[in-house]
Amino acid sequence: MSNQQKRWKQFLAAENDGEQLEYSAKSPIAGVSRRTFLEVLGYSTVAVTLTGCRAPEQKIVPYLREPVEFTPGVASWFASTCGGCSAACGTLVKVRDGRPIKLEGNPDHPLSEGGLCAVAHGMIFGLYDPDRLRSPMRGSQPATWEEIDDEILGKLSAIKKSGGKVRILTAPLSSPASRKTIQTFLAQFTDGKHITYQPVSNDAIRQAHLRSHGIAAIPQYRLEKAKLVVSFGADFLGTWIMPVQFTRGYAKTRSLTEGRREILRHVQFESIMSLTGSNADKRIRVSPHEKTQALLYLARLIAPSTDLLNAYEPRQLSVQTQEAVEELSRELLSAQGESLIVSGSNAPDSQYLTNFINDQLGNYGKTIELTPTLGREQSSDAEMVELVQQMNTGEIAALIVCGVNPVYDYFESQKFVDALKAVPLRVSLNSALDETSSLADYVCPQNHFLESWDDAEAVQGTLGINQPTIAPLFQTRAFQETLMRWSGDQRSFYEVLRNTWREEHFPQQNQFATFEGFWDATLQKGVFSLQQPANVSITFKPDTLSGAIGRLQSTSGVNSANELDLVLYQTTSLRDGRFANNPWLQELPDPLTKITWDNYACVSQRYAAMNGLEEGRVVRISNGAATIELPVHIQPGQHDDVVAIALGYGRSKAGKAGSGIGANAFPFVAFVDGSFRYSHLRVTLVPTASKVEFAQTQIKDSQEGRRLARELTLTEYVKGTESHHEEHASLWSPHDYPEHKWGIAVDLNACVGCNACVISCQAENNIPVVGKDEVRRSRDMHWLRVDRYFEGDRDNLRVNYQPLMCAQCDNASCESVCPVLATVHSSEGLNMQVYNRCVGTRYCENNCPYKVRRFNWFTYARDDAVANLALNPDVTVRSRGVMEKCTFCVQRIEEAKINARNEGRPINDGEIQPACQQSCPSQAIIFGDLRDVKSRVAQMKKSGRNYTLLDELNLRPAVSYLAKVRN
Amino acid sequence: MSLRTAKIISLLVTVIGVAVLWQGSIFRGLGNQQSYQPAQPINFSHKVHAGDNQIQCLYCHSAADKSKVAGIPAASTCMNCHTQIRKDSPEVQKITTALAQNKPIEWVKVNDLPDHVAFNHGRHVTAGVKCQTCHGPVETEDRVSQADPLSMGMCVTCHRTHREVTLDETGRPIVSKEATPKRLMASTDCSVCHH
Repeated sequence: MSNQQKRWKQFLAAENDGEQLEYSAKSPIAGVSRRTFLEVLGYSTVAVTLTGCRAPEQKIVPYLREPVEFTPGVASWFASTCGGCSAACGTLVKVRDGRPIKLEGNPDHPLSEGGLCAVAHGMIFGLYDPDRLRSPMRGSQPATWEEIDDEILGKLSAIKKSGGKVRILTAPLSSPASRKTIQTFLAQFTDGKHITYQPVSNDAIRQAHLRSHGIAAIPQYRLEKAKLVVSFGADFLGTWIMPVQFTRGYAKTRSLTEGRREILRHVQFESIMSLTGSNADKRIRVSPHEKTQALLYLARLIAPSTDLLNAYEPRQLSVQTQEAVEELSRELLSAQGESLIVSGSNAPDSQYLTNFINDQLGNYGKTIELTPTLGREQSSDAEMVELVQQMNTGEIAALIVCGVNPVYDYFESQKFVDALKAVPLRVSLNSALDETSSLADYVCPQNHFLESWDDAEAVQGTLGINQPTIAPLFQTRAFQETLMRWSGDQRSFYEVLRNTWREEHFPQQNQFATFEGFWDATLQKGVFSLQQPANVSITFKPDTLSGAIGRLQSTSGVNSANELDLVLYQTTSLRDGRFANNPWLQELPDPLTKITWDNYACVSQRYAAMNGLEEGRVVRISNGAATIELPVHIQPGQHDDVVAIALGYGRSKAGKAGSGIGANAFPFVAFVDGSFRYSHLRVTLVPTASKVEFAQTQIKDSQEGRRLARELTLTEYVKGTESHHEEHASLWSPHDYPEHKWGIAVDLNACVGCNACVISCQAENNIPVVGKDEVRRSRDMHWLRVDRYFEGDRDNLRVNYQPLMCAQCDNASCESVCPVLATVHSSEGLNMQVYNRCVGTRYCENNCPYKVRRFNWFTYARDDAVANLALNPDVTVRSRGVMEKCTFCVQRIEEAKINARNEGRPINDGEIQPACQQSCPSQAIIFGDLRDVKSRVAQMKKSGRNYTLLDELNLRPAVSYLAKVRN
Repeated sequence: MSLRTAKIISLLVTVIGVAVLWQGSIFRGLGNQQSYQPAQPINFSHKVHAGDNQIQCLYCHSAADKSKVAGIPAASTCMNCHTQIRKDSPEVQKITTALAQNKPIEWVKVNDLPDHVAFNHGRHVTAGVKCQTCHGPVETEDRVSQADPLSMGMCVTCHRTHREVTLDETGRPIVSKEATPKRLMASTDCSVCHH
């Protein structure tokens, strides 16, 4: 008898043993033996499990009264205006069953022309951000609007009586109606003033134009009219003023379609590596000091007859830079009226000299339109500093902050905090409990722009409308309405907006006879263009030229070996830190460094080598007053005397996603001669013992001699040098495509690498955010990535961008290795990924030479009911253990096919636009049917510049690239 | 393990194995909700409306020919008739109350496809597929039940046989019953329904 059987028998015997029974009778649950209890427990568990097998009961809740023109399950599109920044790009908002789920570019908008940036796409997440305030707050306690209104009205009427000063601090507002509402509110007080504040300021452009042309405005730069653009550190494709509009114009003049043989030439002088600089035909690496000197030297060469400049000797310029400037001046002189000089500096003198050169070249009125547009109603940087002083001395009775966060981004934050304490009434209208709001007496959260009415006039004559696409999700109120309540106006802002339009804009047009017709048409289109106003003034006033030249000449570079010149810049995703709590934007790799979830101190390769710094080494950066610690990133193309740090990081109260990411570099901003400065800042850099690993999505910088992202010079292109691609014999039998064969052509000559497509794709396809640690493990989930390559030496660095989505190969290497047929070829040429079949072997990912497949290592967070409202109901949310990849937005293809068939017509070319194509500001991505020889994509693929990636593998991808052409 | 235990286990394995081979459909039917007939908050009868009174399906399910979903009528749609007809019926009163109290009616979903299936009603209705093809003789039922398993096999069987769609002279599609190898219109590509 084995031991086991023995034990079994003993157990049975024990059951009948009198003693044991007696013992069990004494047990707390008298009458139920342990055995019976366990039996019952077992049966009930089984019973519960079995009943649980039934599908849970689902409810359908229809409307009580269905809204007109509403069809459940069909998306409605509303034309609106993006409220992300003051550039006011036109958007189309996709609303499914009452929820806005996607922003797309509005092709009818005259400025953005259908383009949108990455930030705009991320705004959808902002709407459903779980960290938004859900009700007004008194201090840190939630309150009702009635209570808050009563209390604030009481305090305001006391101020009215005492004649105290009231200040409203906002970001620059492009909305005339909102500005009017603010003025109406302020008019109640004896001393009320509206001050706008830009943490990353472009005030110098306004100041310089006030001096040079007598008008404090930011002109409209018309890149599409230029043949030669010279930028002194202005990141106009990334973050400067209106990047989408500039990218659109830039791509238009650089386009090689329709047989064009002459394209815009772009020269960039810069000290850090910017997105714009990386696209330049010629990029001159200079220190910030040299940049100023180069500008002076250029001015002298352009205007040799100006006595003031004749004395200037470019002694502080390197020979190389001097030659470059000389060559450039010749080019500029032969492109008079067709060139454009821009400067990213916030020093009024540099901007004034830029205006002078532009004036000498006759660019005003041609490539620069000086209409009183952007910045017209803006305050100067000095006014902000003055406000803080007044607050400090207790002069201000009430401060209302709306949409700005100076406690985080004011250069002397502590001074602002102290000054704030001296203000008796502090009200914040911000939508989250951020750094500034948490110090306010009252927080009256405003609506998200997708919940609000507003208008926008970023450029005079172009009137955009912002209409709500959802009722406010929380107990929030439009800030205009909040101010109206406090001025005794009980109307809705919608009414005020309509009245403004009826009184001001309706009489300015003659297209519509009735206001209702005008209003409805504008609302439908999202924008109305009035007659373009004439340039106000193009006469240059040279009065202050000598002073400016004198001051610019006296600037000096870095003196000692220990010192570095700090350059502060904005990233294309977080900008000034407003969007820090958006995990989509945090996880969006920087176009150049490809680092996510962090900021860092960029130094040049030579500086790093000389000081023994390696990638990720934490350094202490200090200017005496402020000190921060950041890891070092070695950035090719950067000047040796420069350390560059991105602003917008280091938020302490951004929310769940954005708090504590990176370090705040705003304390390094200087206030010199009435304007905020972001360069010419002296710092020291000391390495520490610690080191971090970046969450980087691309580690290799070089193409290793392979021709992945190809480029030609314009001369080669005009001569007819073709980027050949060969047809190889195939062992596979060809596919039969009875109806369609979808394909994409990516024009690398148009692509500037801005990353807008990546976020557009993320929003459309429910792509999860994985977090810093997972990105470090190369588990980022973006279906579309933009590869970036550095080529050439440090002084002549060339950067290439290459968007990479699934290539939907004919001879797909993924399909042949899947053991469960989870990835199969469709009759329209797509490599379909069937999530329900996938068992997660990852063979396909391993076998894909383009590395575009993404694996769900975890069930990524989908537990927030509010954030989940942003999900696209047409795309499956994938679960753990499943492979996924770009589908060419197959949900859009299917929708278009269904619509076409229901209407009994063929699909029109251009009718289907994947998310990446739709909002591309440079229109670099073209999707279409390759079976239709007349389609745009088929035409583009006939170009001599067309090639496929990794041609030698003979995968026959449906995505091909058109080589970049450098001028 | 004794010989006896081994015998019992092998017998069990054989019996279960035979059961799987003989009545495999039992196991395949896991999750199959066919003939699910839940009680509804309002005792609405399709037989009375669609059967006896011949009201068109599309009158109430008005999105069925243009959307992914067929749409459940809003309470106001019911009141188009019921402000006049059988106003005093306790069931109609429930709708009147719902409207008065501004409290939407929560119907229980009968035909529930998994979330990873993108079925489009509009395409099928426009192509001439009868509602009854998938939903069964709804017009004879007092309380609606799920008539078909709504399994992928059911979809694919139909897609494999209804291949060609041609348009008649008025532009309406005619669905042919025979498979024509030349044109594959009702696609069986996975991504047509799963994306």
